[in-house]
Amino acid sequence: MAPSRRTLHEILVTTPSFVWLSVLFCVPTLIVFAMTFKPADMYGGLGPGWTLETLRHLANPNYPAIIWRTIWLSAAATLISLVLSIPMAYYIARATPGLRNALLLLTIVPFWTNFLIRIFAWKILLHPEGFLKRALVAAGIIAPDTSLLYNPEAVLVVMVYTYLPFAILPIYAAAEKFDFHLLEAAMDLGASRLTAFRKVFLPGIRRGILTAFLMVFIPSLGSYVIPDVVGGPNSEMIGNKIAQRVFVDRNLPHASGLSAFLTLAVLVPLAVVWVVQKRTSGQPPTMQEVA
Amino acid sequence: MNRYRIIPRLFLPALWLAGCGQQTPTLHIFNWADYIKPALVERFEREHGCRVVIDTFESNESMYNKLKAGATGYDLIFPSSYMVELMAAQGMLRQLDHSLLPNLVHIDQAMMVYATDPLCTYSVPYMMSNAGIAYRADKLGTIEATWAVFDRADLKGRMTLLNDYRETIGAALKFLGYSLNTTNDAELAQARDVVIRWKKNIAKLESEQYKNGIASGEFLLVHGYNGDLMQVISENTNVVYVTPKEGVSISCDHMVIPATAREVKLAHAFINFMLDPQVAAENTAFVHFLCPNKTAYQYLSDELRNDPAIFLPQDILAKSEVIKYLGPADAKYRVMWDAIKAAE
Repeated sequence: MAPSRRTLHEILVTTPSFVWLSVLFCVPTLIVFAMTFKPADMYGGLGPGWTLETLRHLANPNYPAIIWRTIWLSAAATLISLVLSIPMAYYIARATPGLRNALLLLTIVPFWTNFLIRIFAWKILLHPEGFLKRALVAAGIIAPDTSLLYNPEAVLVVMVYTYLPFAILPIYAAAEKFDFHLLEAAMDLGASRLTAFRKVFLPGIRRGILTAFLMVFIPSLGSYVIPDVVGGPNSEMIGNKIAQRVFVDRNLPHASGLSAFLTLAVLVPLAVVWVVQKRTSGQPPTMQEVA
Repeated sequence: MNRYRIIPRLFLPALWLAGCGQQTPTLHIFNWADYIKPALVERFEREHGCRVVIDTFESNESMYNKLKAGATGYDLIFPSSYMVELMAAQGMLRQLDHSLLPNLVHIDQAMMVYATDPLCTYSVPYMMSNAGIAYRADKLGTIEATWAVFDRADLKGRMTLLNDYRETIGAALKFLGYSLNTTNDAELAQARDVVIRWKKNIAKLESEQYKNGIASGEFLLVHGYNGDLMQVISENTNVVYVTPKEGVSISCDHMVIPATAREVKLAHAFINFMLDPQVAAENTAFVHFLCPNKTAYQYLSDELRNDPAIFLPQDILAKSEVIKYLGPADAKYRVMWDAIKAAE
């Protein structure tokens, strides 16, 4: 009796989230995919029948540049976030409990303020007559007519700022479980500090890094507000194009086509991570691996 | 304990609904934000013994999408001309009963040439606006009112153009001396190249934040709507609004009654109230847009009456046009807009 009761329990526990996900996530996603194959009418609605017209329009010569910009900005934001958050997570995990809690709190504090307000705060920080600009000009680092705002670099900076906590937290969670004695053992066996960090610590927190990668890369791909507020005329990302197709062009099939493309683009890194994790699942670094 | 104390409060709304719901008719209005003087709405409520509920939208498209998604219950909506055409073509609007609108006689017929529905079959013009340029006189001195200003490389990164394909391509068409409703491919291609050239000098395409931007000095010159910029000027006298000599776009927002309206009589009464010359004058003084109401002009202050941003000078008016709904040809502008946005 015991196993079947356990199964029943599992079903009962998973049903709410399963229903939630299928009704509010899977079904809408499938509707978006289906709308790609409907014709658009002049009034912003959907026409009768089915068509491949939208797929042909997706071969728009202007898209590769936007797609490329979306990918490089997201990849750069992810890379910078990871590089910054790994030492931070290492430090937090090794700190005394009191300091650790304070640092974790500081990581989360920005979330107490609304996302939009924090992005608008960047506009004040990078204002062309603001303190930062004047300080940089006075220090001779930038020319007086250099704009700190409204370019892809500004978008990148704000993206890193926004998503950094999402990278720190999973890496910290992994680092906290890491047995730091392994580092000492590695150094006893002749590894340098850097080698020990690279060959023992990094593989040990691999799962945390993969999670952080997903937590930063996927929302970055879908960025819309950040390029809209701090981006300039040459900082448009796929998210902005989808918004334009819906609100300006009133072409739902076209917007759906782009959204479907984005969904597929998000599934690729997910699949890669899944395969990597599957291959190495449940194998914490052993002494043999280090040696 | 708290749980029990809340229960009587739960009945309050129900009592209130039962008490006044029947007697007090409610007029539901769907309008742009800050686009009507609140005191006038209160006056209408007192005079007609009703309640007025105002819901706001930020673009014609979002209003339209909400209605298309099945939103009903609005009795009066304030769409722009092209949206009136689009809605009327789809049977979404109710024909107006002119016997309930005696104040229609006050409408300025000279301005009706710019309206899409000059006989007021479905719509009555509410306010007219134009899109020109505003700049910081404290930083730039006095500059000539021309669209060519967007070619000034010394203002690179400190100017904005509207993030609206008809307005910005329209400005380039006016700069070139063409109609901003053209469907001629060669003219459109020239306008596209002008906007691409201008794009190198602007900070961004912006339809909302230009107001704060020019007030804070973030931008030194912006392309925007007169009423919005006049509201900025009333708080910051360093800002000056001008209408470029090549002509500008004029747009008109209308009052329409949707086919699904419930308080049809009351909606007509509200339109008639807004057409009352003294009400119209008071409203213009508040929103800084032009209410095309001929009888109302005499009640305006001299300052407003002589404001070239509200009453365009004759020579500029002659070169200005209303942005028309172009139907299928509209797609040409959208293709241009995509090319402009993608150009480096």
